[in-house]
Amino acid sequence: MIPEFEYAAYVWSSYAIFAVVIAWQAAVPFLRRRRLMAELREERAFRSGSYGGQS
Amino acid sequence: MSAFHTLKVGFHRLGSPPNFYRLCTRLAPWFWAGFVITAAIGLYQALYVVPPDYQQSDSYRILFIHVPSAWQALAGYAIMAVLAAIALIWRIRTTEILAMACAPVGAAFTLICLATGAIWGKPMWGTWWVWDARLTSMLVLLFIYLGIMGLYAAFEDRRKGARVACILVLVGVVNIPIIQFSVEWWTTLHQGSTINLFGESTMDPSMMPPLIWMTIAVKLMFTAVMIQRASLDLIDQDRRKRWVEDVIGEQNA
Amino acid sequence: MFGPLWALLSQDLRLAIRHGGESLMPLMFLFSVIILVPLGVGPGPNLLSAIAPGMIWVAALLSSLLALERLFRPDFEDGSLEQWWLGHLPVYGLVVVRLFSHWLITGLPIILFAPIAAEMLFLHPDALGTLMISLMLGTPILSLVGGLAAALTLSTNRGSVLLSILVFPLIVPVLVFATGAVSVAAEGISPQTHLGLLAAMLVLALTLVPLAVASALRLNIE
Repeated sequence: MIPEFEYAAYVWSSYAIFAVVIAWQAAVPFLRRRRLMAELREERAFRSGSYGGQS
Repeated sequence: MSAFHTLKVGFHRLGSPPNFYRLCTRLAPWFWAGFVITAAIGLYQALYVVPPDYQQSDSYRILFIHVPSAWQALAGYAIMAVLAAIALIWRIRTTEILAMACAPVGAAFTLICLATGAIWGKPMWGTWWVWDARLTSMLVLLFIYLGIMGLYAAFEDRRKGARVACILVLVGVVNIPIIQFSVEWWTTLHQGSTINLFGESTMDPSMMPPLIWMTIAVKLMFTAVMIQRASLDLIDQDRRKRWVEDVIGEQNA
Repeated sequence: MFGPLWALLSQDLRLAIRHGGESLMPLMFLFSVIILVPLGVGPGPNLLSAIAPGMIWVAALLSSLLALERLFRPDFEDGSLEQWWLGHLPVYGLVVVRLFSHWLITGLPIILFAPIAAEMLFLHPDALGTLMISLMLGTPILSLVGGLAAALTLSTNRGSVLLSILVFPLIVPVLVFATGAVSVAAEGISPQTHLGLLAAMLVLALTLVPLAVASALRLNIE
């Protein structure tokens, strides 16, 4: 599947850098959204669900 | 007349945070899907279809990553500048947030451009870094992006920080062409012959398609991440507001 | 109308003289450069004359950078910066005066002592005039863009690192053309284009930067 390139290491490491940075830029909003939603859900539950009942 | 009217109303609607958020979350998956498709086509063509170059053999394939990233780094700045101008003139909060969301992604592409440029330079010129015009101005552009991100992050009042950073963005708009011009001047002064990382600037026409596919792919990805970051920033800033509670409620239901 | 502007200028200068030690930093940088660089790269005249323009300009840049922290911050912290908008004077003028006093303290000493530095670094005698002109055109630009960076970061806590990051891209063209002018002059070629572009940048900066500084200060005060 992988064609034989001259300078293979250079070509593949460039493409790898591209993939890593794209994945990183995709992951950041994804993870932040998960954390943010969890925080907001917890705040909401705290405010409405347990009036004075939180131990 | 009515088309213009709908556009105007649409533009104003975007200023409202809940509408903006809804639009962003709805559009983002489409841009990601578009990126995956166009990138797959472009990468396949770049790696399997296009023949090795006469002078640079296979290492020139790095071009298909390096050049679209460079173009996007600059295009991203242009988009950010337009948004910054709108944000400062009309003081629209969602535009401020959208402008600031451009910076990290643009910086990421600048990084890709610099890293791939260095990797390309090693087999071609023997060194990991080449002081050629494009790489040097990309390095300066990276600092401009980092400066904008740092300035925005340094303010506790996010709105004030966004407005101050937008001033910096506009200063950069004037500055970037001057920098590119001066760096090109500088390389011709000190080296006599211009070192062009491209080699010959005329490319075989068979090399164009993957370049075009990757350029489009990169634009789609930039847009996807930009609107995702913007929508999250908006939620973060509007935590206590009613519309955010409604959104959470919708998600739970 | 010029009375208050003159008062601001003289006050800035008096304060600078009172902080005597800090005001001598520009000269300290210049002398450090002149002494340490030959110690570092060897006393060979060819090498020194080649890097002399860059080194003198680096000294100018560092001295300009150092004084930026104190440019607006003291007035911001004691509230007197807000007075700038309360009077009938254009803030543009007040900004220009403040930046002018910064230049007098950081740029002018470099200009005055540059001939000594050039002599000690074996700069080609033909290039000295170009060096002086490049400094006279370029150091005001340094003060202007440095003042812009200081104004943008005024109400932040992490002042100096961010300041340097902001200043650096703005400085690149100035450095390129200023040192380029001196280099070509040392080879006997006319530095007209370089100096002309430098002058154009000065005019551009002089007209646009104070506007940006004023709006940045205004935003930071709110």
